[in-house]
Amino acid sequence: MVVDHLDLSCRRGTVLGLLGPNGAGKTTTLRMLYGFVPPDEGSIAYAGKPFAENRAEVKRSIGVCTQDDSLDYDFTVAQNLFIYASYFRPRVADLNTRVAELLDRFELAPYADASPHVLSGGFARRLLIARSIVHRPSVLFLDEPTTGLDPSARLDVWELVDGMRAEGLAIVLTTHYMDEAERLSDELLVIHEGRSVAHGEPYRVIDSVLGDHVIIVPRAEPARAEIAAWLDARGAKQVATVLGELRVPVSKEDLAELTVRFTEAKWQVRPPNLDDLFIALARRNGRVE
Amino acid sequence: MSARTNLGAVADWRSWAVLRRNALVFARNWRTAIIPPAMEPVIFFLAFGLGLSGYIEGLTYRGVEINYATYVAAGLIAYTGFGTPFYEALYSAYVRMFYQKTWDGILATQVELPSVVWGEILWGAVRGTVNVSIVSSVIVVFDLLGVVDVKLPFLLFMPVLGFIAGCAIASFALIFTAIVPAIDHMNYPVFLIGWPVSLVSNTFFPVEPKSPVLHALMQLNPVYQLAECARGLLVIGNPGPHLGGLLASTALFLVPCTLVSIRLTRRRVLGD
Repeated sequence: MVVDHLDLSCRRGTVLGLLGPNGAGKTTTLRMLYGFVPPDEGSIAYAGKPFAENRAEVKRSIGVCTQDDSLDYDFTVAQNLFIYASYFRPRVADLNTRVAELLDRFELAPYADASPHVLSGGFARRLLIARSIVHRPSVLFLDEPTTGLDPSARLDVWELVDGMRAEGLAIVLTTHYMDEAERLSDELLVIHEGRSVAHGEPYRVIDSVLGDHVIIVPRAEPARAEIAAWLDARGAKQVATVLGELRVPVSKEDLAELTVRFTEAKWQVRPPNLDDLFIALARRNGRVE
Repeated sequence: MSARTNLGAVADWRSWAVLRRNALVFARNWRTAIIPPAMEPVIFFLAFGLGLSGYIEGLTYRGVEINYATYVAAGLIAYTGFGTPFYEALYSAYVRMFYQKTWDGILATQVELPSVVWGEILWGAVRGTVNVSIVSSVIVVFDLLGVVDVKLPFLLFMPVLGFIAGCAIASFALIFTAIVPAIDHMNYPVFLIGWPVSLVSNTFFPVEPKSPVLHALMQLNPVYQLAECARGLLVIGNPGPHLGGLLASTALFLVPCTLVSIRLTRRRVLGD
């Protein structure tokens, strides 16, 4: 079983970040939400309407921006929007105006009559996103929308996502960039081995899984092994080694005791982030309880 | 989805939207797209019709004496009516599915997978219709030059026959599109099925099997029925039993092949 007892919801005007290591079940979850594969059990509903019984209506109300480049290179940039709109009924109202508006908003107007081949990675991604909302959906799925983009193009996509959220779209976002998930998501759902291990606002998710602080013990610290043993004895479960550094989430109480016990040792303390969470999930075998 | 739903998708607007998409792409490139089908019959006429005519005499078709080039004219209709949808549904559809990810984009909309398959079947048949029309035009020229002797008004029926057979052939070819691991593996259906079928279907020479089993199998072959139907119309103005044969063999191919194509394509594209 790839996905098991997963509950998720996304409200209008919010971004739900779907996170998890490779093989966690994100893609399967998305494929069920798109309607590509039916769930064996459970149900999917959009605006209260069960997907299975209202398939055509529901598919009219969702937009999908896949991770793979599925632009239609047989058509120009503008034609991509027109042809995509032709796959929806009821037909898109004021289509010419809508296409012009999207070309303008996504800064694609200068390329309207060009082949998508001339677009940079960032602009091709803009076209993919613009295409996925040409029919004015109320829910948008963005599957790793910034993978492979340079930092500037990533920020541009962030702005676009933020704008679409402000317009009231419910957005489900998957990403491998933790900063992206943290900044864009109103809520996070962390999946591990097909199950939800944490759900809620980003800072709460991190707190619930990792605790208050992360200490980083450098590779050159003489007491490193001793500290690791002490933390192990205290039941620290999320010990990660990154390039020889120890990265360990600890509670406030453990941190206070560590400070007293290892007065000569040097380490850094910082708040935990989604990178810590991601690494912890990817390296563990069991579930977070 | 039930077999009924999958078959009923042919009438769904979504299938026609996929067909329209392919037609629009063709409309952009029609100048280059029509040259091969226009040239191919010319080459075949030169190679077979004219080249072999001198060696083949006294050919009769249903009691009417005809020259070999006239025999080949109807064969070219069948050859084109078979080859065009077959290769369109094999190679072009595979490129759209695998390399261009066109189907992925379409499936992310309201269009469902059965409609993608039907859109490709219909498009293969339409391409067959277009190319059969071009071949028919070339036959008109050869008729006016006295190379062949056909009943010209009946050439108007050829595109319709091409469309009917094209549906069956495209649905059959899409099975391979759904299962071949890579485009190079298309050589298997092309050389093991495409070439033999295009040659042993009364296209360029008559095949009269003695075995009743082979004879019965031949009746199920829509390419054979297309060739004989076209020949009957072009030579004597009467398709005989082959119009019914074409319709029956098309139905016998189209229904199961479409259902199998949808099932296999669903597994390949959607992983279901």
